[in-house]
Amino acid sequence: MNTETIWLLTTLGAPLAMALILVLLRGRAVRAAGWLAGAAALFSLVSAFALLPALQRGDAPTFAMDWVPAANIRLELRADWLAFPFLLTEASVTLLAVVYAWGYHHLDERSPVFYALLMLFAVGMAGTTLANSMFLFYVFWELMLVASCALIAAWGEGSQRRAVALKYFIFTHLGSLMVLVGLLVLYDAAGSDSFSALQSGLELTPTLVTTVTVLFIIGFCVKMAIFPVHLWLPDAHAVAPMPVTIMLAAAMLGMGTYGVLRFPLSIFSMEQMAPFAVPMMVAGIVSEIYGALMALAERDVKRIVAYSSVSQMGYILFGLGTLTYEGIAGATLHVVFHAIVKALLFMGIGLIIHATGRRRITELGGLRGAMPLTAFCTIVGALAIAGVPPLCIFDSEWMIFAGGFRTPQLGLAILSLFGSLLTVAYALWFVGRVFFGPRPPELTVERPHWAMVAPTVLLTILALVEGLVPAPVFAWVNQALAMILGGNW
Amino acid sequence: MTGDIWVILPLICLIGGAFAVYLVARFVTGRNDCLAAFTAAIFAAALGTLALLRFMTPGTEHLPTWGRFGPGEAFLRAEPGALVIAGVALGLGLLVALYSGHYLTLDRRYETYYPLLLLLATGLVGMVLAADLFNLYLFCELMSISAYVLVGFRRRTQTAIEASFKYLMMGSVGTVIFLLGISFIYRETGQLVLPPPSSPPLGGREGGMGAPGPWTRAGIACIVTGLGVKSAIVPLHTWLPDAHGRAPSSVSAMLSGVIVQSALYTLLKVSLGLGLPAHSLGTLLIVLSLFNMTVGNGMALVQTHTKRLLAYSTVAQVGYLMLTMGIGLRYGLVGAIQAGFFLIIVQALMKGLAFLSKGVSHFYLDATTINQLHGTAARLPLVAVCFTVALGGLAAIPPLAGFTGKWFVVTNGLRSSDALGLVGLIVLLLNSLLGLGYYLPLIGALFAPPPIRHARRFRISPWMVVPLIVMGALVIAVGLYPGPWLDWTSEASVYLLELGK
Repeated sequence: MNTETIWLLTTLGAPLAMALILVLLRGRAVRAAGWLAGAAALFSLVSAFALLPALQRGDAPTFAMDWVPAANIRLELRADWLAFPFLLTEASVTLLAVVYAWGYHHLDERSPVFYALLMLFAVGMAGTTLANSMFLFYVFWELMLVASCALIAAWGEGSQRRAVALKYFIFTHLGSLMVLVGLLVLYDAAGSDSFSALQSGLELTPTLVTTVTVLFIIGFCVKMAIFPVHLWLPDAHAVAPMPVTIMLAAAMLGMGTYGVLRFPLSIFSMEQMAPFAVPMMVAGIVSEIYGALMALAERDVKRIVAYSSVSQMGYILFGLGTLTYEGIAGATLHVVFHAIVKALLFMGIGLIIHATGRRRITELGGLRGAMPLTAFCTIVGALAIAGVPPLCIFDSEWMIFAGGFRTPQLGLAILSLFGSLLTVAYALWFVGRVFFGPRPPELTVERPHWAMVAPTVLLTILALVEGLVPAPVFAWVNQALAMILGGNW
Repeated sequence: MTGDIWVILPLICLIGGAFAVYLVARFVTGRNDCLAAFTAAIFAAALGTLALLRFMTPGTEHLPTWGRFGPGEAFLRAEPGALVIAGVALGLGLLVALYSGHYLTLDRRYETYYPLLLLLATGLVGMVLAADLFNLYLFCELMSISAYVLVGFRRRTQTAIEASFKYLMMGSVGTVIFLLGISFIYRETGQLVLPPPSSPPLGGREGGMGAPGPWTRAGIACIVTGLGVKSAIVPLHTWLPDAHGRAPSSVSAMLSGVIVQSALYTLLKVSLGLGLPAHSLGTLLIVLSLFNMTVGNGMALVQTHTKRLLAYSTVAQVGYLMLTMGIGLRYGLVGAIQAGFFLIIVQALMKGLAFLSKGVSHFYLDATTINQLHGTAARLPLVAVCFTVALGGLAAIPPLAGFTGKWFVVTNGLRSSDALGLVGLIVLLLNSLLGLGYYLPLIGALFAPPPIRHARRFRISPWMVVPLIVMGALVIAVGLYPGPWLDWTSEASVYLLELGK
């Protein structure tokens, strides 16, 4: 076992071990729980970075062992270029969300379990990106759902939290089942559940290819919250405690994109995927416009940003649907940049809700004087989501639209470009209502906790820096695409 | 009466144990914990003799038999499938006996409870081991009658008596039809012994020499119907929600965990041994399983009583088992049958754990309905965790055992060569979605805030803690590391498939 394999295992193992430790300590570790979880998340992030040299050498750190030989089930973990951007996003978002939770989460005797579940949620996401066999992939995929659902059911805000958790579970599980059927068909065709067997070519009838692709795309779209299977998202995001919302919106939605890239796109050829291009682009545009319109119509600040996720995932699906180098690269890049900006926006909103105790946009206003730093960060986030250069989302949107214009469907590309106007509308409208205008007389503002401010500021800087210097992240994404598209571009 | 003495040892152990426990209870000590420990020791001894049987007589070429050796007159035959089911049943029985050591403290009449529990296990083990129809019938009756009495064990509760009576009525009609079928078969063939795999089946082979005559056909139909009642095949399942929902939880764990599944296994074994073609039996099972899954899950969705809900979920779980066995027999897939045996093990663990956890919450919190379970996590944390593991397993959430079982079912089922199998699998997947609709709210209720503030936390008796922890750990371990359990069932599945050839 070489060093890379150990880093690979610690990426997953650190949060997993910490979750177990926290559950065992329970009441004895109420104060230390946050710090311990933060340390594990940091360790996981460092381990993920430590995989980079090996990847740049052209290796893919792998860990493999037989699990159930009788049924050809293997336990395989593998870090490759396709997984790396997602893994890094997930690990960073987890670390920031845990730090944010230090300020946001009210400590009580259940706190260790809260942090343990956050860790399990992170393990689920990291495992999903690293799994190299189908059984393991599905186990982690569902762990992600179970952990986040438990967090919503137990720590959600408002009396509806259990109903919301149930809705979230059943909706997302429906998508998972579609993915599962797709996986099982591939398993049956390949004869082994290792992904490596899939890369070496599959013999599937065209009908089966169509069926599997449709199942995968719909299944992963549920996770991405594409209209009309987005129904779980606004409720789940609005009810979840803010650190969980940040992980859901910034990291978990990206897993759907990862699934689309990993399964239909890397297994099937572009010719086999071609019939799905237009449906994916159309679904993307519908989602983009619908999400933006709903964000304009909403009155709850958290739901506004939640609907903006529906809209942003629409961009990503559109980019994937173009099946061009620019589109897919832009979509992948958008996952990373959207994670930065969405986490930033939710953190800003969390600061506002925490300081004022209000969530309805009609009861807020004129906060720019009372919370200047929060106002600045949130405004940067809103401008970024509106696609204003030189902030980071501008770069990825540019590429997505460029991909759109490379396809024969110019009409769709133009439509999606104009759809982005609505994004600008809700972002500016939101910023205007919250930070400008008259301040309601009875609105009091409390001082925010440093642990909530620090990650917000960090993300603001990151949004700016990534916009100006996207090259490193772009280079990683490029490597990933070389894997999928075979370097024919 | 000769043969491998090892075959009869577990039965001697159990029957002798039943009498011994009764005598000890009457004349030595009536203390519940002593009797529970004694009963558990008997179960352990029976398990030990079963293990001896397994290791003293390896190989499937010469199955160990015991009985009179005339022309094909065997009494007991240690088939691999029977050993798996008997092993599961005795293991569950051991844990249930330990659990009863505290669960029954509020009841009396221990001198009948423990012997009946042992007789229930005797009937079950005898039924799966029996190689001729007459003894099979006797053991089946022994199992059923013990079950009727145990369901109505709390005789002061009217609902329990009602459930027991209903179970008795439907069960007796089932066994009478079964007996009628046996007499039809005897009328035509003049013998009752189920032949081992390599020889032609009792009723003759379809299209071959000595094809089954009209009486044998009628007999097979009667036997399938009679055992169908015992294995709760829809629409013959109506006794189950009452019986399993009203029996003491320890008894429900046995009934839902192994009794129904073993009756289904017997149905397969007998009908294949009589010459019903595997293809037809498989088709029948797949079609009926669609109803079992849908009716079970659909009815469970609307229940308010926790145990009734679990009982309906048993109907659904039996449906999953029927589906995979049906697919295996119809398309000749060993893997699917192996998945079926794996499901039997897993269901015993999950159903047993669910009912036992429910029993603890009833014992300490007097919780019957789902709403009364609110706050279990605060007052009985261990029970909440174990119950969640069981329900999560039943809902097939990875990496618990239920998920691994369903994974095997679906991966093997996909090899089915026509649409019927695939339809079955789609219905199964839709049903597992339907199942979430009642499993998750139940888990939610466990972790809901308690109805009264500052609720007291209870110390659970170690008699109950041990079975809960053992089974909870097994549900997780079997899910994460199914290899050895799968190996255990491989011989059994090959054997069952051979029977149909």
